[in-house]
Amino acid sequence: MKKAIQDIYEHKYKLLLLIPFIILVLALLQIGIQTAVTGDFVNKGITLKGGSTITINQIDIVDVEELRLFLQNKFSKADINVRTISSAGQVVSIAIDSDAQENSEINALTKAIADKYQLNKGDYSIEVMGSALGESFFKQTFMALIIAFLLMGIVVLIYFRTIIPSLAVILAALSDIIVTLSIFNLTGIKLSTAGIAAFLMLIGYSVDTDILLSTRLLKRKEGTVMERVYGAMKTGLTMSTTTLVAIGVALIFVESEVVKQIMIILFIGLLVDLIMTWIQNVGILRLYLEKKKK
Amino acid sequence: MLVIFLVFAVVSIHPKLFGNEGVTIRSVAQNSSASLAGIQNPSPTSTPLAKEKIISFNGEKVSTIEDFYQLTSNLKENRSLMLETSNGFYTLKTQRDGSGEINLGLKVYQAPTSNLRKGLDLEGGTRVLLKPAEPISEDNLEITIANLKERLNVYGLSDVIVRAASDLAGEDFILIEIAGVTEDEVRELLSQQGKFEAKIGNETVFFGGKKDITYVCRSADCSGIDPRRGCSKTSDGGYACSFFFGITLSEEAAERQAELTDKLTVLSEEGGSYLSDDIALYLDDKEVDRLRIGADLKGRATMSIQISGAGAGLTQADGVTDALKNMKRLQTIIITGSLPVKLDVVKMDTISPSLGKEFLNNILFVGLLVILSVITVVLIRYRKVKVVVPMISIIISEIVLILGFASLVGWNLDLAAIAGIIIVAGTGVDHLIIITDETLKGEVISDWKKRIKNAMFIVMGAYLTTCAGMLPLWFAGAGLLKGFAFTTIVGISFGVLVARPAYAAMIEQLLKE
Repeated sequence: MKKAIQDIYEHKYKLLLLIPFIILVLALLQIGIQTAVTGDFVNKGITLKGGSTITINQIDIVDVEELRLFLQNKFSKADINVRTISSAGQVVSIAIDSDAQENSEINALTKAIADKYQLNKGDYSIEVMGSALGESFFKQTFMALIIAFLLMGIVVLIYFRTIIPSLAVILAALSDIIVTLSIFNLTGIKLSTAGIAAFLMLIGYSVDTDILLSTRLLKRKEGTVMERVYGAMKTGLTMSTTTLVAIGVALIFVESEVVKQIMIILFIGLLVDLIMTWIQNVGILRLYLEKKKK
Repeated sequence: MLVIFLVFAVVSIHPKLFGNEGVTIRSVAQNSSASLAGIQNPSPTSTPLAKEKIISFNGEKVSTIEDFYQLTSNLKENRSLMLETSNGFYTLKTQRDGSGEINLGLKVYQAPTSNLRKGLDLEGGTRVLLKPAEPISEDNLEITIANLKERLNVYGLSDVIVRAASDLAGEDFILIEIAGVTEDEVRELLSQQGKFEAKIGNETVFFGGKKDITYVCRSADCSGIDPRRGCSKTSDGGYACSFFFGITLSEEAAERQAELTDKLTVLSEEGGSYLSDDIALYLDDKEVDRLRIGADLKGRATMSIQISGAGAGLTQADGVTDALKNMKRLQTIIITGSLPVKLDVVKMDTISPSLGKEFLNNILFVGLLVILSVITVVLIRYRKVKVVVPMISIIISEIVLILGFASLVGWNLDLAAIAGIIIVAGTGVDHLIIITDETLKGEVISDWKKRIKNAMFIVMGAYLTTCAGMLPLWFAGAGLLKGFAFTTIVGISFGVLVARPAYAAMIEQLLKE
């Protein structure tokens, strides 16, 4: 069994190379459909698209932590946060931020809260909020990302002095982000600003394994190409396993929804990175080395 | 080298595990009992631990915010009170404030335990609800929001959320959340429309904003306390201080000025010749300053102009602080220009952090578990305590280095920074594993120097590539991305240039034997 896998991995790498590209195309398809159906390429949470704030002025009967848990259980798909507002050191009201923008969503939320604490109409007020980031944010981010990938490509090009490997590094990082985004969409979680940071973190992780692989394959002379791939893989898998275990532990114990989201994205991203590095990048580099030999 | 850096980091964080009782003064209201007693507003640049702390009140110890507000809640008018702070004793006389309430004019918060500044996500901040004085279009609302954001950023506040809001009746509001700022400062900065105008006679020469004013000097050589006028004592016993700063006009505005000055006549007076009319500066239709125009400027298109103004206070130091504060506000307004509409402050209160109280404790707990799990995996892989101990200590020192740097430059720890720290620690482990593997498989290459060089080649490659990826996000990205990119670049730079080479040296020493 092990030998069979090894055999396929060593000799059918051109065929295997199709897998990451099929995944990439599927991911792009998913994002395309998502955009066509919802108008947004990702499910945006309250920090990205805005929402509403319900302010309760009856504070003596409300326990903030209890309310937070109650709402998170009842509306598990929604992005809800509970904060206290104080004046001169004393809590005067409680603000419930949520991504509810439609009247029906807001009404469901207010009804749940009002029923729980038997509030009257005068005990709370509702405000609808716009996005905290503004329309230009995504445009700016995309521009910055494109420049970022270009610069990274240039740096890798200078470092290894060959074009194909540097393209492969960029391709791996890019596919990692795209595929992770599409899988993240499928989970139905709503993306927050912290989630965006998590996607950017993937660049760092992806680059680490790819540079390791490229160096071992292109700059070292000892052993055959396959021996060098396995050597790099041993190190690379240690790196990924360590990180995956650490993230797994964090996922189980962390209470904050925001950090949980960062961890989920990193977890998906690192798994995708395994495919992108050890199948896609290895495949491209081996093709390149074979061509060079001829 | 690593050790030196570590000591520096710990000193600048200055963690206080004990003795952090008491409350720290956040702000002192003007002309309040507290400011009359000589308590000064904390300087915005002082580190969290250096700010003045209240220790006792009328002989009763103050250790929590609740204590303070309880002790000061039922005060009677015209009584003398004793306040002990970290700087000494004050005698306060209670009096009614502007709204008729008896209030000491002190805003306090729980004393910080280290020099790390926590951001909006972690510590909460001031929430301001603004209402446009007249109904405005959606476009104008967006312009206003962008302008407010810029105004706060230019003023030096970066941990800010500005967003549009509306109630169910359809009325528009603007909701702002800001970390680490006093309420007075925010009120003055946000409620001004900031219509800055310079006029000669009834004709406008230039407006505030980028179109007419291309540059506003904010460095020490062309802005600050006016050396020629300085501070002087006023009739009521206080001090008045003057400030000045230079601005550069656009060519168009300079031409306009030339045209207008050309019409004026030259008057000869004591001390020189001036033109018959002054340039008057208006802020929100109120005259703030009047500048005489030298006769030699008649009809000439000058592009540099000096703006001046004043501030006042009970002592000379107070006067200087007030003048510099006014200068900063005026500079901010001139740079960012006028808002499309005047805004009224509807409500201003304190909001708790969005990440909740237990967040930091939980994060620390999870961090500990994560380190344990990393130890386990690495131990299983290498089966050598000699490898694991230096590895973990390097990771922990990298995190200490970032935090030390953060408190040194006084930047707010927020979610973006936490994300940055996670990525630095994560890639840190990656790189240490690379270094270990490169050195351990060294039977083939016997030379240690060569092995470490090989390892650092990969680490440097990954470092340079990641930096290249983060730089555009730092410069071109919006708020959150900036913070993240900055933390990441600083963190991995410390890691790659200081901590990780130290690890290579350590492992060489340990494994050579």
